Amino acid sequence: MAIVIRRLEEHDEVKRFDCGDEPLNHYLKLHAWGNQTKSSIGVSYVAVDDLAPRAVIGYFTLAMASVPRGAFPKKHVRGLPPYELPLILLARLAVDRRFAGRGLGHALISEAFRISLRVADEVGCRCIITDAYRERVVWYARYGFVAIEGGAPNGPQRMFLDLRTVRAALER
Amino acid sequence: MALKTKRKPIEPTTINRARKAKFQADLALAENRAVRRLKEELQLSSNTDFLSDAVALFQWAVSERKLGRRIISESVGGERNVLVFPRLERVAPDTSLPRVQIQWTERELQSLAKLTTAGEANHPTEALIRAMRD
Repeated sequence: MAIVIRRLEEHDEVKRFDCGDEPLNHYLKLHAWGNQTKSSIGVSYVAVDDLAPRAVIGYFTLAMASVPRGAFPKKHVRGLPPYELPLILLARLAVDRRFAGRGLGHALISEAFRISLRVADEVGCRCIITDAYRERVVWYARYGFVAIEGGAPNGPQRMFLDLRTVRAALER
Repeated sequence: MALKTKRKPIEPTTINRARKAKFQADLALAENRAVRRLKEELQLSSNTDFLSDAVALFQWAVSERKLGRRIISESVGGERNVLVFPRLERVAPDTSLPRVQIQWTERELQSLAKLTTAGEANHPTEALIRAMRD
């Protein structure tokens, strides 16, 4: 089994995808392609086996965002650059249950990091942000994501990874 | 198709002549049959011509994907198929990401400001180092 990760294509088979989480399944099946092509809300990258190159077995979605300098509380503005803070949003990451435990999540997040570095090289970006399910916080922390405090206690945990850290990993 | 290059040592008298590389391919029987059939269909008499045309086609496909263009076939009835060839995806650009809005609470923004203004970034974890090596 050789895994390929590439952009979502129109005729990819997503109907059978089941990661065990309905919102993540629903997004891939109903919204990912439209958001990528029509709404320009996020780009989804899919994992496929090269023996069945249409059947999606995992995916992640990336988008760019920024925080205006004026949005930060005044006492924290000092030290920030006098511009908007650009960041990459890792909006979703999911693996089909049939392929869980085979390192597919690792392969997907590795590719997300590489793409993020390329984006940062091209347009400038400071960090990656993700909203992790509480039960997945430990998994993201393994890659160096740290919790951003102050979110709703029952909702997802917003997490931060400095792209300088990712670049340092590349140089090790 | 695995291609092996044979290189002869260059003698001083041949340095200025046009250099040609020799290729030797170890093909499975099915691949060999496919090559013969293609040569017949394309009316190519030599393996050199076959390889030369194949390289030209591959070069074109790579250059298209490098520009971010998709390669599509279209039937007479207008039905379209997009070529998905995993190796070609390695050269496709990935850097155009759309922009979205994120909602933040004030405390999240405080926390983000602290993390962003840290003088030095955290050291990469073992998992992150592995991710960037794999």
